[in-house]
Parts: sequence; C-alpha cells; structure tokens
Amino acid sequence: MYKKILIYCIAFLLPFAFAHANDPEQHAEGGKKFEAGKEIMHHILDSHEWHFFDMPQGNGKYSPVALDLPWILYSKENGLAFYTSTEILNESGIYHAAHNKVHALKTGEPATHETHTDVAVHGEPHEANIDENVKVYDFSMTKTSLQMLLVGIALLLVFTSVARGYSKNKGKAPSGIQSFMEPIVMFVRDMSKEYLGKNHERFLPYQLTVFFFIWFSNLLGLMPFNSNIMGNFTVTCMLAVISFFLINVNGTKDYWKHIIAMPGVPKWVLIILTPVELLGIFIKPVALAIRLFANISAGHFMVLALVSLIFILGKSGESIGGAVAGGVLGVAFSLFIFTLEMLVAILQAYIFTLLTTVFIGMSMASHDDHAHGHDEHHATPVQHSEVNKDLRMSDFGVS
Amino acid sequence: MDTVLGLAGAGAGLAAMGAGLGIGKLAASAVESIARQPEASGDIRGAMILTAALIEGAALFAIVVCLLFKLI
Repeated sequence: MYKKILIYCIAFLLPFAFAHANDPEQHAEGGKKFEAGKEIMHHILDSHEWHFFDMPQGNGKYSPVALDLPWILYSKENGLAFYTSTEILNESGIYHAAHNKVHALKTGEPATHETHTDVAVHGEPHEANIDENVKVYDFSMTKTSLQMLLVGIALLLVFTSVARGYSKNKGKAPSGIQSFMEPIVMFVRDMSKEYLGKNHERFLPYQLTVFFFIWFSNLLGLMPFNSNIMGNFTVTCMLAVISFFLINVNGTKDYWKHIIAMPGVPKWVLIILTPVELLGIFIKPVALAIRLFANISAGHFMVLALVSLIFILGKSGESIGGAVAGGVLGVAFSLFIFTLEMLVAILQAYIFTLLTTVFIGMSMASHDDHAHGHDEHHATPVQHSEVNKDLRMSDFGVS
Repeated sequence: MDTVLGLAGAGAGLAAMGAGLGIGKLAASAVESIARQPEASGDIRGAMILTAALIEGAALFAIVVCLLFKLI
C-alpha cells in the first residue's frame, strides 16, 4: 500500500521534473559577485520551483537542477489553467509571472500581440500591457506546500506503523518505532491533562497532530534540499488561526465576562482594561505565529549566514585561503547551530502545543471548575513531606 | 537608509540584551528553587520553559520589526 502511495507521488511529480537548462540572466558566469543577503533570502522564501543545486557545464556557466512545480491559476475571465515552468507561463499570452507574482495580460488587440513577443524576449512586460482589472488567484503548488504534503506522508507512514504496533503487540511491550513514539505521545498527553483536566481527551487528537506536524516539518526543514515550512509566515498564521478558533469557541461565560467587564474592578479602569483584554484575544495567536516563524527562520538564517562565510571570506573564489578558513569556521559553527536547531525543532513544537493548551485551559476555566486546580494537587504532597521532615528532625532532637 | 539599517541593528542588539537579562534572571531563580526543593524540579522546569518561551517571544517581536526595516 505504501509502495502504491509512493508510486503515485512520483508519477504526479515526474511531469514537472525537467531542468530548465539555460537561464542565462539569472545564472551568469562563475566569477559573479556573491551576495549573501540575496542568496539567503532565496533559500528562505517560498518559490515555484524546487531548486536542488547548480550543475557546472564546463564553460564557466551553471545550469540549475530543479523541480519545476505546476502553476495553477484561476481568474474569472480565463478560468482554471495549469502551466509548468515560468517560460511556458509567460509564453501563454494570458499571464505573465515575475518575482513569484502573476499578472494577467491584456488580450485581443493586435497592437499588444507584438508586445507579447517582447515579453518572451525581455522577460518584463510593458506596464500598459498588464491588465489590473483581472484578479488572478494563484493556487499553485509551491515548494512549501509540496513539502507539507511530504510531511503529511511521513506522518501517515510513521503513525500507521505505530498504530499497527498496538494491535500486533497487544498485551506485550512496544517494539520498534512504536517504543520511540510512545513516550512522546504520553508526554503530550500528560501536558494536556495538566492544563485541561477532564476535558483533555477532546483536544488531544488536535494537539498530537499539531505537535508532530510542527516537529516533523522542522526536522525535515533541517535536511539538505528541503524547505523550512515553519519559516513561512503563512503556515504559522494558519496554525495560529486554528488555535484562535479553538481558544475562543471553547470560551466559557466566565472567560468572556473577564474580557468584556472584569469583575471586581472599578468602572473607570474598565475603560482601559476592556480594550486591552479585547486586543489580547488577537495578540495571543499572533504571538504564537510570530514565535514559531521567527524561531525557525532565525535558525535557518544563522546556518545560511555561516555557510555564506566561505564565500565572503573567499571573496567569491578569489582567495582560496580565505575560503578554507571560512569553511572551517562555517562548518564548525553551523554544526553547533544544527545541533541547537534539532533541540529547537522539538522545543518549538512543544511550546506551540503547550501555549495553545494553556490558552484553551484559560478560556475553559470557570469559577466552580478550576482546570488549573492541579497546582494545589501538586503542592500538597511537597508540603506534607516538609512537615514530616520537620517532625522527624524534632523527634531526633528530642531523642 | 543606512542610518535606518544601523538603528535596526542596534534595536536587534537591545532586544537580545533585554531577552538575555530576562532569561538569565529566570534561569537563576529556577535553579535556586530547584536547589531548594529538588522534589518540585519537574514543575519548576515546566514553568521555566513556558516563561522562557514568552520572554523569547517578546525578543523575537523586536527582531521581526528590525528585519522589516531591512526588507522594506
């Protein structure tokens, strides 16, 4: 069954897997000046191609080896349309793509037909030729969305085999990947139980999904040739929107009462407090999204900046000694950052899940049913043991 | 433009300083409390990670604002 899934995936991707060999404007001769900032942004940002590496052609030129991803465009006037690479999209005469943004071109007039060939040659259409009235919706499968599908497949493969382990090893100790995943699942469940109390079972499937999705995509993003999913603000924003709805839809009457009119507070303070509390509803998920996005993309920035050291110190191939020094420095430091990022990958997944859980717990808490009553529960045995210790000490002193 | 970039860099530094102070203070008290009460180390560690994440979030807000200056 898994082989079938894999074959389908490959069959789906193969039509788009052709390298567009000559792209002379972008990839000029080898002595090109290295621009660290530009190069880093190229790696961080989402794109319509999955760029692996540049293959040297021998004459000082490089041809990119990349997976061209399909452009799926929709506009009311032209309907749904599929294109493969940017060139074909530009030659279609309907749309023009530049810098990952698609514009519709004016059609029908004989005068514009000439400018269409212009487009193919120079790559930039005339300002007048772009039809601003046509709204183009870009549903293309980009690098990030494809990577997300890959993470989904990885999650399916791993967790169906974990689930099969439970029927296979019924009543026995877990084995294989099952024994690796079980403590992590238990860890998330215990965290959920601590903050949500008896309600935790309702939210556990979502929490486990979001935890493992973030963790797997962070880990996959650290591997070569992969893109960083959580370093894309759109993705973290959508995760935060889901959290926003989970927090507010499950809000109790007490939660809303504390936001709109905090009880036990003088009336004039409410003038300041209520807007702040209302803003807080939105700030919480926004902070979630920014935290995840900034942490993951900061890690990638650091690794890429350290790798760029090779080219900066090597002066784009002029000084070999500098390149070697940069290589030693870059590899040593990026190894350190990579190790740190492995920790950050699971830590950020945990923090996103934890904070979502804490916020849900806060919104579900009411006066008679404290979901955070666990604090007292945990505190009591500690106090008891202290009291006992004191007693024993005094006993010892007396005897 | 260069002044703006310089100020953005200084802002990033200040944000890192603030977050460093915050997390340092947090870690110091957490370690102290664990030393005082080793039985509660699990709870303290959990609270510490949660608070560190919140402090770090504030610092990252500042970093993102600085990055915006660089990109815009």
